[in-house]
Amino acid sequence: MKKYSQISGEISEFSDLPFWKKADVVDLVYVGYGLLIVALVVVSYILGSFNLLPRDPQDIDLHLMMAPPGTAGRLLGTDFMGRDMLSRLIVGIQAYFLPGLLAILIALCFGTGLGVLAGYRGEKFDTGITYFTNLVDSFPRLVLILLVIAAFKPNIYYIMLVVGLTNVPVISSLVKGKIQFLKQKNFIEADIALGLPTRIIIFKHILWHHCRSLLIIQATLGMAEAILMETSLSYLGFGVQEPTPSWGNMVQSGANYFMQGKFWPSTAPALAILFTILGLHLLGDGLNNILEGKRNT
Amino acid sequence: MKLSAIRPIALVLSRELMITVLLLLGVSFVVFIILFASPGDPFSVLLEGQLSTAEAKTGVREAMGVPRSWYIQYLTWLAGMLSGNFGTSIRMGLPVLPEVLRVGFSTLILTIGSLMITLLIAVPIALYSAVRGTNKLSWPLTMSSYVISALPVFWFGYIVIYFFTHELGLFPIAFGFSTAGQKYRWLYQLLPIFVLGVGNGTISEVIRFLRQEMGRVMAEDYIRSARAKGASIWKHAFKEGLLIPVTEIIASKIPFILGGAVIVEQVFNWPGMGRMAWQAAQDRDYPVIMGIAILAAVFVRLGSLFQSVVYVAVNPRASKE
Amino acid sequence: MKRIFVVLLLIVATVIAASAIAEAGRKKDNKPDGGSLSYGEYGRPATLDPITSNDMISLRLTELIFNGLVGINEKQEIVPDLAERWDRSADNRTYTFFLRKDVTWHPKEGEEPKPFTADDVIFTYKIMIHPKTITPLKVRYEFISAVEKIDEYTVKFTLKRPILNALAKFSIKVIPKHGPSNPLYLTRNDRFVQSPIGTGPYILKNITAEREVVLNANENYFKGRPHIDKLIAKPFADQNIMTQGLMFNAIDMIVLVNPRDLPEIQGDKRFILQPYNALSYSFFGYNVRNPLLADKRVRKAITHAVNRQEMLDSFFNGQGTIISGPFAPGSWAYNLDVQPLPFDPEKARALLQEAGFSRGPDGFMQKDGKRLALSLKIPIQKESEAVKRVVLAFKSYLKNIGADINVEFKELQAWNEDVFFEHDFDIIFAMWVFDDSADISSLFHSGEIGAWKYNFGGYSNPEVDGLINESKLTLDHEKRRTINRKLHAILAEENPYTFLWTLTNYAAYHKKVRRVAIHPYKFFSYADDWFMEEKDQK
Repeated sequence: MKKYSQISGEISEFSDLPFWKKADVVDLVYVGYGLLIVALVVVSYILGSFNLLPRDPQDIDLHLMMAPPGTAGRLLGTDFMGRDMLSRLIVGIQAYFLPGLLAILIALCFGTGLGVLAGYRGEKFDTGITYFTNLVDSFPRLVLILLVIAAFKPNIYYIMLVVGLTNVPVISSLVKGKIQFLKQKNFIEADIALGLPTRIIIFKHILWHHCRSLLIIQATLGMAEAILMETSLSYLGFGVQEPTPSWGNMVQSGANYFMQGKFWPSTAPALAILFTILGLHLLGDGLNNILEGKRNT
Repeated sequence: MKLSAIRPIALVLSRELMITVLLLLGVSFVVFIILFASPGDPFSVLLEGQLSTAEAKTGVREAMGVPRSWYIQYLTWLAGMLSGNFGTSIRMGLPVLPEVLRVGFSTLILTIGSLMITLLIAVPIALYSAVRGTNKLSWPLTMSSYVISALPVFWFGYIVIYFFTHELGLFPIAFGFSTAGQKYRWLYQLLPIFVLGVGNGTISEVIRFLRQEMGRVMAEDYIRSARAKGASIWKHAFKEGLLIPVTEIIASKIPFILGGAVIVEQVFNWPGMGRMAWQAAQDRDYPVIMGIAILAAVFVRLGSLFQSVVYVAVNPRASKE
Repeated sequence: MKRIFVVLLLIVATVIAASAIAEAGRKKDNKPDGGSLSYGEYGRPATLDPITSNDMISLRLTELIFNGLVGINEKQEIVPDLAERWDRSADNRTYTFFLRKDVTWHPKEGEEPKPFTADDVIFTYKIMIHPKTITPLKVRYEFISAVEKIDEYTVKFTLKRPILNALAKFSIKVIPKHGPSNPLYLTRNDRFVQSPIGTGPYILKNITAEREVVLNANENYFKGRPHIDKLIAKPFADQNIMTQGLMFNAIDMIVLVNPRDLPEIQGDKRFILQPYNALSYSFFGYNVRNPLLADKRVRKAITHAVNRQEMLDSFFNGQGTIISGPFAPGSWAYNLDVQPLPFDPEKARALLQEAGFSRGPDGFMQKDGKRLALSLKIPIQKESEAVKRVVLAFKSYLKNIGADINVEFKELQAWNEDVFFEHDFDIIFAMWVFDDSADISSLFHSGEIGAWKYNFGGYSNPEVDGLINESKLTLDHEKRRTINRKLHAILAEENPYTFLWTLTNYAAYHKKVRRVAIHPYKFFSYADDWFMEEKDQK
């Protein structure tokens, strides 16, 4: 009976103003910032893939360990092995980009699939799926991941698989709730009465028109969660392993020197995480508001 | 709370309990299978300090009376659990149930406390923005909450500890016999709760959700008419716009916060479930892990139960759905 | 009047008698009693008895709670402990221990302390060898064939065969017959492992809710009551926080300081940094089953390629000694004449070329079409920053001579399986810790190759085998030393490991704790002598 009432109360039937004219300035700023971040991420990913970096991220220099920004041409300083921070930050995106997309994809696909099944087909499917989603929900995420790491190996893809799976319940109940709401308002009955094929009802009307904003938000939240989860795991020692850089393991190794007053090695990646997650959240927020035509804050 | 709400609540409770039992079964089974599939075993841990040959490990296993095949192991454990015996920790020899309950209680305090802090911060901001909309005050508040949500929690913990040690000269870790600053004991307990409450990454989501719900409810017709009549909108809006969404978001975020608790417990030396789980996972101490998995699942279910009960108490008619 | 006088006399006499009795328990060194010392440990002990425990934290605690028949001092000499003297038969196969008669066990609340007798010694032995007792000690004591009680205070051990340095093995801690609830064998379920009873200078009072272990001074300790009233072991889950705990007075002492924190503590006048040399060393171990590594020139090249001094200086503040062979430099077996191979990348490349390698198109060496690519596997430990540094530097050094190292961190149990069971690795980075003897026979003897045995690299050399066999048979210490020196020289040349260094361990403590002598392996052996001035006690 758990219900997510994150259902938009109105189904916007707005006039034909282009969306940027009727949207709140604040939302546009949010989306703008969010898109900027996403663009940076994608650019970094590309740079990293083609190795177009200021310096070699694996290049060790034992005479330059933990240097402050600006030393010897290292724009953002160096880490605990004398490696260039900026290059590692750029390459660090690789640890999240594809695995994070994997997590999102799994969560969205299975989540909407189950949600549609439960909402559309009702009764028997609903009970079974509810049990399954409640089961997955009952696992404390981190403990489950620790177990998986113990069982297999600290591979970021396995971890993201688990993160994606544990997000399935959220999405499926959101979608299901939306469908139930639509049923209540007789939209679906109307569609069926009109003779529309099931495929179109589900994909075009339900998912595209009504679920897209919540799915987008969930996608951005999912990526943000992937990043934070990897950071927590790195603190425990189980995130992405050296020598592969990830923002999480960079914060963790830098944090060892935090108490001695050397803030920068851990602050640089922490800020990277901060701005990226902020961008993702704001993007989701802004898009949600614009697409739903609502004005909330 | 009307009297008529009692019967639906009882119904909801009994149904939830039944579901919980089934869920616990499922959780324990999945955890067990994962453990069994892991390389290594708890017996090597016992023999650490000398390498354990296969015979030595078999010897240990027989000495401890652990059956060979996985399903017998699982069923034995299940039978024991049903009679209240969760076995004993392989590493420490202590009985699992009292130990897990002890740390579970500890983590529960941390979790609930941090949820309160999260709500304390999130609810006012959400309410304010829902009622007043965007203005000079709500926007920076919302933005700051978003920024705080994006911090890695252990890093935030380090910042807080650094501030307390270097600026205030206090060492904010809860220890029974800390030699200095006995009078700050309450502070030491409060700090990890504060850090987890602020840093668990859910504040932004809570604010957004609450604001949305509140906004939706406020826009509903019956509220508008109440407003036009000049009646207080709070009583009406409160139940549906605040109470229910709050319980809903709390229930859904508990697993997330339990995860954050693992980290905060390590940083602040809080004797909770997270530390025990991490150690037990490494040791393959399966009685302990099973116990913790069950308890964690119970916590999550409690949250869900709480949410269902509140929902039905407020809307007795809804239980007929 | 007379009556009052008699009463007064009686009172005075009683007071004098009482203080005399109290005096008898105190140490005779005029140092004040009192104070409490809390120390930080990284992690928690599993069990608190000397039989089932197998981690260093438990070892330090059992050192405080229990005694052995004999002790080993910092000069590696045998000194009396629970046994005041001993006899050894002419054929070295019988040892008779004469026990002290003034020792009592820690009393339970409100009970009289029970005396320590030969029964307890025999009980300890029987428990230890029982098949159902799970203990890492069984292997160490398999050389004993029988134990016999001669009288209340005399015990006789018969050995299967003469063993060199057998006396040192009798430093094993003794547990009381009335301690464990099971009279036959000891498992971790027994209450005794969490509520130990010993004869030692400190008695376990309780374990607090935050899992601190609280120990009180034993008033009746046979060597004299320890000065410091209370010792508390505080477990930390985060080493950075532990160091901060020291700096901000939450704890008074850290048993092992993380090298990166040394500069901070060194600069602080409140604390004393005390070095102690554990008998351990770090190394890179090679799997000679891999044909690339079977050639000893390749291994030697790797040793030449690694700049050990630079790593020691950069990562560990230079606090350690580079070693050239399989012993710790503090060990009597170490051959000081053998110098560590110098850092010489040119020589390394030359050796590789000699072994048939040439530079491939991607810059890495190759031979017969096979690249010099090796996997380096390391177990994940939570606090492993120093390990990461060494490993990453290693990769960098080897890239310099054309070898491609693939660094792989694995979960501990998975790593154990890979290294000791499947032998699926090329190189590992690890550390051996020795307790007393410099016994390397299980590491390099070809008979120790196999599943779950210590010669994980598969190293096999008939000359080394012969020397090891010889050293096992001889009881002459000097002869053994000569053999070990020879082994050292051979292994330094053969490089089954690249021997790295022995790190200097540092303990840090507040200067209010005085006369701190630290045992290199057991740490707290002399804790009963530590004291604090009156003004520092709280």
